[in-house]
Amino acid sequence: MLTRFFLMGLDRKAGLVLTVLALLAVLVPVMTLIVPEGSPWHVSIFTVSLLGKYLCFALLALALDLVWGYVGILSLGHAAFFALGGYAMGMYLMRQIGPRGVYGNPILPDFMVFLNWKELPWYWLGFDHFWFAAIMVLVVPGALAFAFGWFAFRSRVTGVYLSIITQALTFALLLAFFRNDMGFGGNNGLTDFKEILGYDIQAPGTRVGLFLATIAALALSYMIASGIIASKLGKVLVAVRDTESRVRFLGYNTESYKLFAWTLSACMAGVAGALYVPQVGIINPSEFAPASSIEAVIWVAVGGRGTLAGAILGAVLVNFGKSYFTGALPEFWLFALGGLFVLVTLFLPKGLLGLWAQLTARLPNAKGPNAKGKNAPNGNTADQKGM
Amino acid sequence: MSAEDTLLYLDGVSVSFDGFRALNNLSLTMMPGEMRAIIGPNGAGKTTMMDVITGKTRPDHGTILFEGETDLTKLREASIANLGIGRKFQRPTVFEPHSVWDNLELALKAPRSPLKTLTYAISREDRARIEDILDITRLSPKRDRLAGSLSHGEKQWLEIGMLLAQDPKLLLVDEPVAGMTDAETEQTARLLCDIAGKHSVIVVEHDMSFVRALGVKVTVLAEGSVLAEGSLDSVSANQQVIDVYLGR
Amino acid sequence: MRRALRWLMAACVAIATTSAALAADLRPLVQTMGSGGYSGTEKALNQLSDAGDPAAVPVIEALQAGDLYVRKADGLVVIARKVGAGYALTDPLSGAALGEAAAGAIDRIKVNNAMRRAISAALGALTLMSPDPAVRRSAADAVFKSRDANALDALNTALAKEKDERIRRAMEQARAAVILTAGASDADTQAAVATLAGRGDRDALALLSMIAASGASDTAKTAAAAAVATVEQKLMFWGALQNLWYGLSLGSVLLLAAIGLAVTFGVMGVINMAHGEMVMIGAYTTFLVQQGLRTYAPGLTDLSVLLALPAAFLVSGGVGVIIERSVIRWLYGRPLETLLATWGLSLVLQQAVRSLFGPTNREVSAPSWMSGAFELGGLTITYGRLWIVVFAFAVFAALLVALKRTWFGLSIRAVTQNRPMANAMGIRTARVDALTFGLGSGIAGLAGVALSQIDNVSPNLGQSYIIDSFMVVVFGGVGNLWGTLVGALALGSLNKFLEPYAGAVLGKILVLIFIILFIQRRPRGLFALKGRAVEA
Ligand SMILES: Nc1ncnc2c1ncn2[C@@H]1O[C@H](COP(=O)(O)OP(=O)(O)OP(=O)(O)O)[C@@H](O)[C@H]1O
Ligand SMILES: [Mg+2]
Repeated sequence: MLTRFFLMGLDRKAGLVLTVLALLAVLVPVMTLIVPEGSPWHVSIFTVSLLGKYLCFALLALALDLVWGYVGILSLGHAAFFALGGYAMGMYLMRQIGPRGVYGNPILPDFMVFLNWKELPWYWLGFDHFWFAAIMVLVVPGALAFAFGWFAFRSRVTGVYLSIITQALTFALLLAFFRNDMGFGGNNGLTDFKEILGYDIQAPGTRVGLFLATIAALALSYMIASGIIASKLGKVLVAVRDTESRVRFLGYNTESYKLFAWTLSACMAGVAGALYVPQVGIINPSEFAPASSIEAVIWVAVGGRGTLAGAILGAVLVNFGKSYFTGALPEFWLFALGGLFVLVTLFLPKGLLGLWAQLTARLPNAKGPNAKGKNAPNGNTADQKGM
Repeated sequence: MSAEDTLLYLDGVSVSFDGFRALNNLSLTMMPGEMRAIIGPNGAGKTTMMDVITGKTRPDHGTILFEGETDLTKLREASIANLGIGRKFQRPTVFEPHSVWDNLELALKAPRSPLKTLTYAISREDRARIEDILDITRLSPKRDRLAGSLSHGEKQWLEIGMLLAQDPKLLLVDEPVAGMTDAETEQTARLLCDIAGKHSVIVVEHDMSFVRALGVKVTVLAEGSVLAEGSLDSVSANQQVIDVYLGR
Repeated sequence: MRRALRWLMAACVAIATTSAALAADLRPLVQTMGSGGYSGTEKALNQLSDAGDPAAVPVIEALQAGDLYVRKADGLVVIARKVGAGYALTDPLSGAALGEAAAGAIDRIKVNNAMRRAISAALGALTLMSPDPAVRRSAADAVFKSRDANALDALNTALAKEKDERIRRAMEQARAAVILTAGASDADTQAAVATLAGRGDRDALALLSMIAASGASDTAKTAAAAAVATVEQKLMFWGALQNLWYGLSLGSVLLLAAIGLAVTFGVMGVINMAHGEMVMIGAYTTFLVQQGLRTYAPGLTDLSVLLALPAAFLVSGGVGVIIERSVIRWLYGRPLETLLATWGLSLVLQQAVRSLFGPTNREVSAPSWMSGAFELGGLTITYGRLWIVVFAFAVFAALLVALKRTWFGLSIRAVTQNRPMANAMGIRTARVDALTFGLGSGIAGLAGVALSQIDNVSPNLGQSYIIDSFMVVVFGGVGNLWGTLVGALALGSLNKFLEPYAGAVLGKILVLIFIILFIQRRPRGLFALKGRAVEA
């Protein structure tokens, strides 16, 4: 049954995405670990981590696209789930430092010793085990999303209102995590990690391993997402996006559908955060900033909302641009990002993939107008109504 | 009249919007298998009545019972639909980004929980049923078209098809023939009469020839309550009805 | 206010001149302090005290501290303070430096216990009778704190002469404190407790509770205990009132920030995430106006905030109109896309201001009529906050009138309720849209002028208000100005009442959680609109 589920989502687009990911998974390790350093084909370990970071963002974008593109929930708080997953992983990495911290306390992380804490708070217990942290990476964002969604969807908060309260949610978490007595390192967050699963976190082998894990997580999430979209459940979700009340009159309990997609999406975002933290080496409250959530939205919009592949493409492209500009023209970056928001919404409502679909559709020997791809991005005004 | 063996029982139902009474002490009963036509001037409260039955609007007062026992005023839309009450909206609403086939598949009677839909695989019977409905609604050639690209009349048909696919006990049909040709109107009337044996149907329509073609009991609504009830001929002869509606 | 300031300055000048004249007469008296042993010093001290010249205060203070010396070489009385191995000498009256001396070259003027009392009394008397009201006031307060029984005589004398009502009260309170500490007749004790209860602040409460626990007499104890209860109640009352004022003050800031949003989001339904930047632009306009006045018309600097009001309204409003015409008008009916596009605009505007003015805070100084504070019963109210509260309500009232009573307001409502119909009736909808958006943005600019007075003028100014503003509008109910008013005041007060218990940050978090839960209960806010229009 599971295979059928995954096969259902396997269309040409999915094949392309998975092929690209597989190629990356083969080429990057080879070019880093085997190709000698002097060679033009060598990829530095720094680049690997950078790519890994982009792919974490791509996973976050994918999660966001699942709810925004297919269910019409514009979350301005997805960074919260990302950061929560990141903190869960960060807590595990903190515990792995053991007595190697500055204060040499075998149990307490440095910042707790600094705050004169005597004991590990209860919510840190268990995080010395990887399996526990791994479960928490899913459970914490998932539970928060479930609780939030359960209230919000039942009381039929929709549209802009929902967006604004998701923003309030992440803002409240931002303020909370800045507090020292929350026990998450306050302002500085969690950092100075030493090893993961016993491997030195700085070693090239570990880095490549983390990169591969990110690719695997992204590929799996992509398959889950496209499997869902292709299923009848996915069709219900799209119907909910555009005409929720009509779906109710067919007897579907739309709240539980939304809750399902929303919680799943939060879990995916949590995984993205968990993979992000060991690769960048730090997690701090600024990840909760409303601006990070909105930035993730623009990745999806650039690539093309409601296309899954577009989310990945957008996340990688925008972040590549960000890395480039913040290095070369730091002043320019915010202009560019701001401009991107405006231009994409005004001129590219379907994103790059939508543009691509339009261009290919114009070509005389393309597969006929509106090639009937399911939920093709070049739908019609109905889409905008759902926005 | 007792509620016991009725399919639908409305008693003293009132709804007001910001002080305006859209339904005013409305009472109405439907027997299983019955078909009823509802007419009345614009703003009489016909659509509002359907809203109240299907849970879209909560009444301020009054009782609404389904099958003599289930209190509809306490339930949410989805639960009411799952009891077996289907609805076609006055303004045709179909799932525009989906194909005609998918629209019917979504409406088709089947388990409605997320897990069940996630693992749903269309069975041979379901496929046959959809094919059937496509034939009835003559949408077969357009089965793969996106519903959003259909004409107004085609959307009407598709929504009727969805209603059939739902296979409800009670069908609430709001102005089904608006935008249809005369021939199609006739065909719709026949279709509804076919259904009526096994299901109960409430049809709201302004098209008198259509109502006549149905040949069923007619309820005239005005200003939120029942003005007259009976055969079309008897209500058309009613002076009050002529004054508020027909005579205009 | 300005007049008071001028008066104060005149008073200071007068004091300076008279004390210079008197200082000459004091010199021989000071000189005699160094001769004649204890009795000689004491006699000179009494004479200094009787002269009633505050210029003698530093001399007596030095005597009290053991810093008053006689220079052996010429018998001059000096103040000497240890510097390294030797002493630095200064003139006790003028404070002029007199060079240094070795330890052996000067003699300390000795003080015995009997004299210490006289010294305190003399100090108290001199400061309490100073011609400068501020000095008298702080002398009375000092006695209140020290509750030194020696000051009683001086206090009595001073009280007999005191004309200023407020200083009199302070002196009476000081006297009551002294009496209660030292013990007195029952009638006096009762009166003293009553005086302290009348003062009714934390200091009085502390003193009264101390007396209640260990007073000089049983009468004092019981009277004080009763007074403690009343004072506590009074303090709680004023504390609550003060919180209410803080809440009102924060609420009016929120109102200012949100009220423009109530127009763009509430009336037009446009989600403007760049709203905060309109506020920020208003604040920078204030800065520019002030800079301009400083350079070209320094006399008018005090008016810069007033002149900035129309300027900020026009600048922010103008930017708003440009934004509406260039971006927002293409996105009507697509709220989520509007949200994204305007967020982008906010980034651009922030960066533009950062490039132009730099990333650091800019200083906008408060005009004299907005600085300072006054007391109202147990409340302390700063003028700055007071003006902001007044201003917020004025803007609110003006907007209300504009929307309800003018033709422009009517067109706005017509357009937002039924665009095609309004169009058909000859209303130029495009123009109304642009002007409405401009109005909302202009009001944000006005908010910026006010906020420049209480917040840092930096490119991030707007960011800190945008979430709060949306919370206010959503909480109050979209499309309802009164809802915005109530929402702002309610959230402001809630915040301030939570703060003492939960701390500022946690309080804010609690408020956010409260709003999130509230929206779940009432998705359309406090004052929801009903009807079909909403469902569309
Ligand atoms: N949600 C609502 N908010 C405000 N008023 C409403 C609402 N729903 C219905 N009404 C009012 O109730 C009255 C009855 O409306 P309803 O739609 O039921 O009329 P109708 O009989 O279906 O008319 P028509 O023949 O034109 O379809 C109308 O005046 C309408 O304006
Ligand atoms: Mg109707």
